[in-house]
Amino acid sequence: MSVTVSDHDSKKNLKIISQPPTLRIIPPLNFCPVEKHLYRSGQPSIINQSFLQDLNLKTIIWLASEEPQEDFLDYCSSNNIDIEFVGMMNDYNYQSVNPWDALTEGTIKKALELILNKENHPLLVCCGMGRHRTGTVIGCLRRLQGWNLASVSEEYRRFTGARGGRILVELLIESFDLGLVEVNSEMIPEWLKN
Amino acid sequence: MATNGSVIGDLYRDIHEVPSETQLELLPMVENGLDSTNSCPTNVPEGTGNSTDANDERDYSNLALKILNSKPQYYPPLNFSLVEDGIYRSGFPMPLNYPFIEQLGLKTIIYLGDLGLEKVSKKDEKAKKEKKEKKDKGDYKEESDKPKKDKLGTTEILKGYKEWIATTSIELHHLPMESSQEPFVQTQTQAQDSLTHALQLMLDKNNFPMLIHSNKGKHRIGVLVGLMRKLLQGWCLSGIFEEYEKFALGKSEYDLECIEIWQPELVVDLNSKPDFVRL
Repeated sequence: MSVTVSDHDSKKNLKIISQPPTLRIIPPLNFCPVEKHLYRSGQPSIINQSFLQDLNLKTIIWLASEEPQEDFLDYCSSNNIDIEFVGMMNDYNYQSVNPWDALTEGTIKKALELILNKENHPLLVCCGMGRHRTGTVIGCLRRLQGWNLASVSEEYRRFTGARGGRILVELLIESFDLGLVEVNSEMIPEWLKN
Repeated sequence: MATNGSVIGDLYRDIHEVPSETQLELLPMVENGLDSTNSCPTNVPEGTGNSTDANDERDYSNLALKILNSKPQYYPPLNFSLVEDGIYRSGFPMPLNYPFIEQLGLKTIIYLGDLGLEKVSKKDEKAKKEKKEKKDKGDYKEESDKPKKDKLGTTEILKGYKEWIATTSIELHHLPMESSQEPFVQTQTQAQDSLTHALQLMLDKNNFPMLIHSNKGKHRIGVLVGLMRKLLQGWCLSGIFEEYEKFALGKSEYDLECIEIWQPELVVDLNSKPDFVRL
């Protein structure tokens, strides 16, 4: 419980914190802030709603090849969050639709272009578990920010769980052609100045 | 040695396991380049390799990985990550990382650690006692004030770090804290003072952007971030532990207990409260 402290300095408005907030919020699986107003996670579920509420999301990039759960879609529409189904826009022929197939150059490009438009922020990038597909896009973003590959890889593996990273994802990050990404220079977020 | 090999084999599979279909699709070299009669080429004894000579003239250059824009501009420090808007976490920044840190435009750095601080371990105390006894006996030569051997060059590293910070406008708070051992023993009062101080600094957004770091960015910073998630943001403990584990990778000692149990008393000025703080 917090108690207001009477203070002689009227400019200050002090409060004592002697206990955590009573209502606990539950972050989605593999949640992490990436940059200002940019977050990553696995598929949020109904228990994460009060957590998500605080992020004031405008856009969600859905990278999985399957449809997200119904209640997640409901949550997005009732909160006016645009959900971009980037992972499902591939021209798959249906014989080879595999959830574990890596993203393509086109999907990474599309995701990065959404991320690099600050009009879409605050923005959450997510896929089923928040591991490989999300990791691919964030990894390519880090390269775009000029990070060295070892650090990009370290960050990717942080989110991949006990089975570790996939070498194909790392290859995809390493070989992605940054020159493909087209952005409107007026819409670039402040954290990407160079 | 044979058992060793299989352990490494298991590890390899664990790290690099991908569905075989994907592998073949993306790396056609594996599929086309091998003689179909040799399903397991690594077992082919030397000398029988001649049978594949006919394939040597194939052009594989189209399968090589083309690397574009490959020169990195920045090297972020170990275990670097954004915690919340305005707060970054990492391991100890090295000269390689300085250009990266400079472009973050930091106002404050909090270093939770023992680098450059004298450790008072039992061993040292014992050595001190012996020296004193020798001194009393009169056969002690004056050399006690010589600095101890600095095997890892830590004082040098800290000195270089402080010199670099002096060239920036960053304010450094070096708060002493040893790596966690057991909870609630006496050395922990120092850690608790440092953690309280750090949390107070994190409660004032005038100090942002801020970097909090320890030596490896795993345990001490993990505890600090965990306490911040619990006390200032009201995260559930399971979410906090998940985040802690991402950086600590298995070794946690009593850190999680510390996050769960410890409750300092903090004061926040609502006028400079960061946006992520929930009250």
